[in-house]
Amino acid sequence: MRGRHLRLSFGVLKAALAAALAATKDAQPISVGGGRFSTSAARSAPPPVSAPHPSFSSFRFSRSGVSLCKRLPVLLLVCALAMSGFGCKTPGSSEEPPSDNKGPFKIGAVLSLTGTYAPLGESAKKAIDLEVGRINAQGGVNGREIQVLIEDDGTDEAKSLAAASRLIDREEVLAIIGASGTGQSMSMRSELNRAGVAQISLAGGTVITDDFDSLVFQTPWSNTLVVPYILDAMVARNVSKVALLSDSGGYGKDGRAVILQEAPKLGLEIVSDQTFNPGDTDMSTQLTKVRSSDADAILLWNAGKEAAIIVRNATDLGLNLPMFGGSGQARLEFIEGAGEAGNGFVFATGRSLVPDNWEKGSAQHEAVSKFAEEYKAKYGEPPDIFAGHAFDAMAIVVAALERTEGMPTPAELRDAIEQTSGIPGFGGTFTFSANDHNGLGKKDVALYVVRDGKWETAE
Amino acid sequence: MADMGGKPRLPWVSWLIAAAVACIPLVITDRFLIKVLTFVGLNVLVAIGLALLFGYTGQVSMGHAAFVGIGAYTCAFLTVRIGTPWIVGFAAAGVIAAAGGLLLALPSLRLKGHYLAMATLGFGEIMSLIFVEAESVTGGVDGFARIPPPSVAGFEFKEPATLYWLVWAVAGVALLLAYNITRFRPGRAMLSLHGGEIGAVASGVDVVGTKIKAFVISAALAGLSGALYSGVVGFVSPSVFVLSSSVMYLAMAVIGGAGSLAGPVAATALFTLLEYLNALIPSMPAPIAENLGLYQTDIYGIAIILVVIFAPRGLTGLWQRRRSASSAKGGSLAERRQGSSTQADTPARPEGLEEGEGT
Amino acid sequence: MSELLQFLIAGVKNGAIYALVALGFTVVFASTGAINFAQGEFFMLGGVLGVFFLRLGLPLPAAVLAAVLATAIIGGAFEALAIRPLSAGDPLKIIIVTIGGSVALRQFALHIFGPNEMIIAPFSSGPPIRFAGAAVERQTLWIWGLTLVTVACLAIVYQKTMLGKAMQATSLSHDGARLMGIDTKKMVTVAFVLSAALGAVAGLAVTPLTQTAFDVGAGIGVKGFTAAILGGLGNPLATVCGGIVLGLLESLAAGYFDPLYKDAVALVVLLGVLFVRPSGLAGLMRRGRG
Repeated sequence: MRGRHLRLSFGVLKAALAAALAATKDAQPISVGGGRFSTSAARSAPPPVSAPHPSFSSFRFSRSGVSLCKRLPVLLLVCALAMSGFGCKTPGSSEEPPSDNKGPFKIGAVLSLTGTYAPLGESAKKAIDLEVGRINAQGGVNGREIQVLIEDDGTDEAKSLAAASRLIDREEVLAIIGASGTGQSMSMRSELNRAGVAQISLAGGTVITDDFDSLVFQTPWSNTLVVPYILDAMVARNVSKVALLSDSGGYGKDGRAVILQEAPKLGLEIVSDQTFNPGDTDMSTQLTKVRSSDADAILLWNAGKEAAIIVRNATDLGLNLPMFGGSGQARLEFIEGAGEAGNGFVFATGRSLVPDNWEKGSAQHEAVSKFAEEYKAKYGEPPDIFAGHAFDAMAIVVAALERTEGMPTPAELRDAIEQTSGIPGFGGTFTFSANDHNGLGKKDVALYVVRDGKWETAE
Repeated sequence: MADMGGKPRLPWVSWLIAAAVACIPLVITDRFLIKVLTFVGLNVLVAIGLALLFGYTGQVSMGHAAFVGIGAYTCAFLTVRIGTPWIVGFAAAGVIAAAGGLLLALPSLRLKGHYLAMATLGFGEIMSLIFVEAESVTGGVDGFARIPPPSVAGFEFKEPATLYWLVWAVAGVALLLAYNITRFRPGRAMLSLHGGEIGAVASGVDVVGTKIKAFVISAALAGLSGALYSGVVGFVSPSVFVLSSSVMYLAMAVIGGAGSLAGPVAATALFTLLEYLNALIPSMPAPIAENLGLYQTDIYGIAIILVVIFAPRGLTGLWQRRRSASSAKGGSLAERRQGSSTQADTPARPEGLEEGEGT
Repeated sequence: MSELLQFLIAGVKNGAIYALVALGFTVVFASTGAINFAQGEFFMLGGVLGVFFLRLGLPLPAAVLAAVLATAIIGGAFEALAIRPLSAGDPLKIIIVTIGGSVALRQFALHIFGPNEMIIAPFSSGPPIRFAGAAVERQTLWIWGLTLVTVACLAIVYQKTMLGKAMQATSLSHDGARLMGIDTKKMVTVAFVLSAALGAVAGLAVTPLTQTAFDVGAGIGVKGFTAAILGGLGNPLATVCGGIVLGLLESLAAGYFDPLYKDAVALVVLLGVLFVRPSGLAGLMRRGRG
């Protein structure tokens, strides 16, 4: 009785799995999937509990047989074989003749849509969606549609690797945009190298292009570019003694190293070097120490929301020093969070933050202001720099695709990307070379000051 | 879990399942799916250790991700910076993680319940800080890049299939080892601790030794998992070995059910696959796949709740519940424990969760 | 000297918040014997919902009230949907369910309120109050005031009302309370509602200083848990002390040692305390008394 019941439940399970299998195999005739499945299930199905006689031995057997230890493997086996059913189907995609008759260009994107870097990934996704829609509405690239397959990595490195693997093997993408974070960008390298697929990272870590890889490109401005710019501005404002506040995350640590190296060259002395952890919510302790130093300006280097807290804490402590920062503060949320206290905050970042910084009528101005307008029309807010980095990645890939003929291989596309020259983007004018995969210069950076809840260009 | 006192004889189904797991790369050519299944193997390896530590011994650890990290960095550092053969780094990862487990076992000798949970959590947090700050060894926040794939005697485990086999072979050996432990005296000693230390002491169980053993073994397995992780992913950074990972490992052990190996292993497999839902269903239309990706974590969280509600004694209980009705006497030690606790109408309150010695 | 004073102010400010979150842990622990891992998410919901109601145009007091009420309702609903079906309350199962709940709540908040940080204006405007070279933000006074009022209310409810006595009885003995005719299931619901409200108050009080976002719950959850353990997971007064001690430890470690290691220093001290007195501050207090 018991045995029959169990067998029955197996039958139900089998049927359910088979149905699910069949349902997912939309193109495949059901009988194939179902047939394969039932044979495999038949092989594994004889339940150990179906001993015909209730002898002592069979009783014992059945008792042990029902313990999870035994039942589970059967189920797992069933599942495994079920999956093998999928597996047999999937390579089919590679068996198909490479259809060159105007299929879409497939590009992958790995973004952090959930987890810590969700704000970055979210903006990037908006920009990509916008660009894909625009390009395809205008007839695509070289007469083909462009298709960007977006994967969420959950700000997790194993997931970004898996996502890259999925995009490369299952979707056979030509190149990958992303990831949003430095760690997630780095972790997919082994997979990129194996398949020879190029990556255009949206993360700002200097390590991404410093640890050079011929397949890896990067759109954000590196710290080595922005730091000297803001330090120059500080010198121009008669600052000589600097209190540095940086976070212990990748961006802050990276920036701190560059600052400590560059500041002495310009005659700036770091009199107080304070750090904090990403996610800290009160920096009044660090600022109290800054107050005890004889600093005449504060330089802030971090990527997260702590910046607004610092600016507020400083004002509340009566610390009325001029404050400077970098790309991490080029966010509306920072200005809103800092409120009154943020007035007069000076930061350096890409020139395109205010499109009118570019000469009217120039290719730069046209590209950036058009993007900003369309973005604002669609999402009701101006693009932030993370949207900008994704826009640039799209522009670079599209321009590279335009230079190829027919359906390029990933290697051909990589070569085309490396030949990127004078592409106007949000980050500036991109010109890659065999040993420069960031391709931005000082002319692409500008200085901004926060005034009355907005940023405006400063000298 | 056939006859209790007899030789360790694995049920034939286990061999069958082992064979099936081994055959997967032969039938599946999808590298992505293989990779995901390799991640399942890595997590299963941690789950086996936690099944021993929590499921059998009743000790709560909220810092196991730290051992995975110790293993990953040890192996990466030794093979890349020192240049030892991979197998040496792999073994060292297990040994050093085991030493960490020994360290963590010390508070467990004195602390119980939530206080032990807090202590292990503290250990995990401190270790994750060390992973970030010990830049010369770990590479800091930028991570440890360019870790070569594992290689043994000149053979490189480069292809997903070979990596899959390597990971699952280690997991299989660990499972066999754990299975043998649980079937004999050490296993029963562990299980006796789950119910309450006083009873265990009264039965002549070496409480101190058993706890230490459980901590060391589970830490070593987590360390080995980390070593393999570093080889599979090729990049290690501190953001992986954080509290949320530790909590998830523990959740898998609890969801799997106490007093069983298969339960936690199944739970781990299930929930790891749940994180890669889009891996399992090929040829999904892009918009659906994208939305599924967005809501994957939601599904994950809700699934945890549902599994606990509908399988109140863990996945193991799901199977055992039917069984215990028909065979009132007998059953494995675990079954008997669970059975008796049901009758008493007080849930098997693992000692790991009772208030510490409050006096 | 003014430096030390400033560190102490920062410590007590953060400590008061830890205390409120820790009280939430303690309340749920008392009625279920379990740690509520979703406690940090209640903190997050308080802040995020406060911003939401303010953006709807509600005046501040109404928005605060609405946010606390809404979070309390969510806490109650969570209990009814996810905790109550767990038949007999095995604490471990409850813990795992709250882990799942915290993941789900955080994701819902992400989908509904977006990934970016949000802020609300301080409850009362004006420059910080300065004395002896140190400064106290007005919002800090609000935090302290709210903590005091909340703890006082909690004490009154516990000591003077039937409900509070029933809760105390439940925490002493689940079965005993049930035998005395107390609806222990209701007590669990009440505990979750109360702890959600406590979390929401804390989350609202700090938002003007720290901003809020969908992901702030995890970090504060660990702090609150630490404070609750330090306080011994029982006596509300010991719990508040636990929070303040933790805040001071962190602040002093950041001030005189290294801000990067402040969490670690606090944890090491905690582990030391646990090793000597495994039942936390409550144990120390009890010992001191007798």
